[in-house]
Amino acid sequence: MHEAIVIGAGLSGLMGALALAEAGLRPLVLAKGHGATHWASGTIDLWGMDERSPRDALRSIVIARPEHPYALIGVDAVADALARFRAVTEAARYPYVGGMDHSVLLPTAAGALRPVALLPITMAAGDVRAGGEMVIAGFHELRDFYPPLAAANLVAQGIVARGVYLQLPPVPRARDFGPRTLAQLFDDPAFRKQIGRQLRQQRGSATRIGLPAVLGLHDPLGVVADLQLLSGAQVFEIPTLPPSIPGIRLFNVLRAAIERSGGRLQIGSEVIRAEGAGRILTTLFSEAAAREQQHRVRRVLLATGGIAGGGIRTDDAGLVRETALDLPVRMDVNHAGWFAPRFLDPGGHAIYAAGVAADDRLRPLGVDGWPVYENVAVAGAALAGADTLRERSRTGVAIATGWAAGRMLAAYGCDATRSY
Amino acid sequence: MRTLTTDVLVIGGGATGAGVLRDLALRGIRCALVEKGDLTHGTTGRYHGLLHSGGRYVVKDPQSAEECARENEILRRIMPHCIEDTGGLFVVTPADDESYADRFVAACRRTGVWVEEIAVSAALRREPLLNPRISRAFAVRDGAADSFLATHANTDDARRYGAQVLTYHVVNGLERVGDRIIGAVCEDLRSGEMVRIHCAAIVNATGAWAGKIAALARLQVSVVAGKGTMVAMNHRIVNTVINRCKMPDDGDIIVPIHTVAVLGTTDIYVPDPDVYSITPEEIRLILDEGEHLVPGVRRMRALRAWAGVRPLYREEDATHDRDIPRTYRLLDHEVRDGVAGMVSIVGGKWTTYRLMAEETVDVVAHRLGVTTPCRTAELRIEASAQPAAPLRPAISHGSAARARFAILASPFYMPGHRLAEVEADDSYGDLVCECELVTREQLEAAIGSEGTANLDDLRRDTRLGMGPCQGGFCTYRAAAIWHERRSDGYGQAAGAAPATRLLTHFLQERWKGLTPTLWGDQLRQARLDELIYLETLAVDRLPEAIPDETIVTGHAAIATEAG
Repeated sequence: MHEAIVIGAGLSGLMGALALAEAGLRPLVLAKGHGATHWASGTIDLWGMDERSPRDALRSIVIARPEHPYALIGVDAVADALARFRAVTEAARYPYVGGMDHSVLLPTAAGALRPVALLPITMAAGDVRAGGEMVIAGFHELRDFYPPLAAANLVAQGIVARGVYLQLPPVPRARDFGPRTLAQLFDDPAFRKQIGRQLRQQRGSATRIGLPAVLGLHDPLGVVADLQLLSGAQVFEIPTLPPSIPGIRLFNVLRAAIERSGGRLQIGSEVIRAEGAGRILTTLFSEAAAREQQHRVRRVLLATGGIAGGGIRTDDAGLVRETALDLPVRMDVNHAGWFAPRFLDPGGHAIYAAGVAADDRLRPLGVDGWPVYENVAVAGAALAGADTLRERSRTGVAIATGWAAGRMLAAYGCDATRSY
Repeated sequence: MRTLTTDVLVIGGGATGAGVLRDLALRGIRCALVEKGDLTHGTTGRYHGLLHSGGRYVVKDPQSAEECARENEILRRIMPHCIEDTGGLFVVTPADDESYADRFVAACRRTGVWVEEIAVSAALRREPLLNPRISRAFAVRDGAADSFLATHANTDDARRYGAQVLTYHVVNGLERVGDRIIGAVCEDLRSGEMVRIHCAAIVNATGAWAGKIAALARLQVSVVAGKGTMVAMNHRIVNTVINRCKMPDDGDIIVPIHTVAVLGTTDIYVPDPDVYSITPEEIRLILDEGEHLVPGVRRMRALRAWAGVRPLYREEDATHDRDIPRTYRLLDHEVRDGVAGMVSIVGGKWTTYRLMAEETVDVVAHRLGVTTPCRTAELRIEASAQPAAPLRPAISHGSAARARFAILASPFYMPGHRLAEVEADDSYGDLVCECELVTREQLEAAIGSEGTANLDDLRRDTRLGMGPCQGGFCTYRAAAIWHERRSDGYGQAAGAAPATRLLTHFLQERWKGLTPTLWGDQLRQARLDELIYLETLAVDRLPEAIPDETIVTGHAAIATEAG
């Protein structure tokens, strides 16, 4: 019998597992594969629909949109989650900076400015409001980062910036310099010495240098420090196309924290169905290498993601399903209304707000408005009520609801447990 | 206003116009072609890619069948690099009238369409996903054709003989003096400049738009625009062209082409070839009919849907579009309407484009007093010249390395051709589009080529963005590479606004075709693409990202896909 199983290993699942692990429940994380950490930028975005501070924005959402995931848990719970998240990353010597008081505007690999609440310290010098001339530097060999375009767009927004290409030092490898390969190269001090020297030559009067977010997997702070020393400028990372090196680092940090507290991850196990007794879920069934496994369980955290993560799935007939537990899905429009005609429509596409409705303890709600299971909580993009990607709140909602769900699940049935 | 003089002006940059241009050029006639969009922007770029054996028309339209059978062999000879010899099958499914099969075979014999009945077991061995309940199967010489490449091959060859090609030039007026047409006035949609073209003759090769062009000279040509919708599956569910053995109807064919398989088509009358959309009912019909050929196709991953408009010429009233003959008509307006200086070539299909061009140019050449015979059936079209030098040298291009890949020696296009090139050249690290194996070198050459105005033009040149991720990874890369190439180095002197417009335009073009079949895994993919472009790159926050998604101009002439 497992005290707790978390389904999904994205940000919400990992934060939930951390909460359960720290409560001593030794959670098992079952995941079909890696989550959006590996695809996204590695920052935590709380809100980006307008220029308000995240705290102000969240306060008004909680009132104006009672079904929004932020509203279900409240602003204080978001603050709790951020505090714990910051502490964990700091302990892992990969600290995140920022908070709810204001968003930082970071340059993207296209040269747009993106509002971010919490960011790894390796990106901090990119804050455009800090001022200072920028050099954006990259490599011809990396297909996923183009300094001239990024710089030209920054210039168009009034930021003094210049794009340069660096010479890749001679390396044993002859081809395919993807983000992972470059990150491994940066882990080598000799490599970064060569890059640092070039940065010094190229920087001119710039006070800071943006590089693609590939500055090492194991010791990014050491890489940044070395490059700053050698170049004489501040150095910061700019996230780009997947796979995301900052995202992989973050996954590694959270995984290590969970395992240190007694949890464990089993990636490659897809939960395909559940059995319960009344309003209590009792058993999960997972599939790995086409073999079904059965898990008796006391508490379950569903953190399988939305459409992108595979937690919510659609078909040609317009049906929308929750894939692991077959929970009811809330979807406010029919098939014909799923999409806006324009890809970049500011209102987004209605289908992406589909998800599982939940109460204020994040328990999944049935069509009757009552929890389907007392001992299940839902977190992250599997929740209904918002297109968090469009709001730029996706990662904020993930860690806040993940942490809150984990804490509330940990409290579930405590008396009963003690009586055994 | 700029003025240009030529002997023959060809209007329309589709298969027919390009074929006419090459034919004229080979006969030594001075000629120019104008196209309102990019080459193949119209119906040529929006069809399933079938090289007809003729089998489809043997019963209903024997003349078309004969023409297809002859031209099929000619095209295989003159442009093998544009054709994949997939072969074709006509199969009788449980839903089909069994008596049709014998009529089909007899009609094949009459029309000269090669056919051979094969055992059902042999058909199923060849195509394992085919419906196991088929009762008969007939092999024919269908193939798959790259209509983008073929059109470019024709215009490139014509250029070698002195022809001019002007893309993004829309004809605003024809100059008619009494009973003679003496030229055209065009607008260069990129610069806004007007161009007057004086010529001795005009060939109206604008397909479904032929009526609109004829009207500019106060002539009436009735073209019925028959919308055909197609669905591309994300892989080759079959490697042979599969047809239902029955009277041609909606959704009865699957064409494997390059990396995908295309289910087609519908046929719905549209009053205006520039205004149409794809309905959910059409998609349902195509997938439902597809189930008869490949059971389970509905649950496979569909990439996108698009529609093209067939140019069917209506001489008298036909009750149903499918009853209009698929063959072509050459309208000599001097004979037909008493107005000299223009012919219109209407109807027809991709497979017969060369024949249509030959017949058209025979008439035009005769009027000009040129007696040089047509040579397009004999002279092979060479593969287009090697692209311009890339910004930085590719890693290795040894012919020795290429010799290891037998596939590269085949005159025909083969699936796997590109992969063999990438392996031979060791250019994995240079792939800008991993789905369709487009290298940086190919892309840079296409960016540098004349007339290319946006990423959608690059797509037609290189297949950029046509694979499973539908532009997720390559759009950013291609827009950035374009920015670097077109700004001539790395200076920021060139603004980023053009790149932003390229990027948002291409994302929108892809999106329009995605939505009709967007569910399941493809929806998941689309959401990942959204994560990349909105969350990580925040392209919606770029200056000038939203206001205007049209790239060259807002001109109504550049109608794009439905939506």
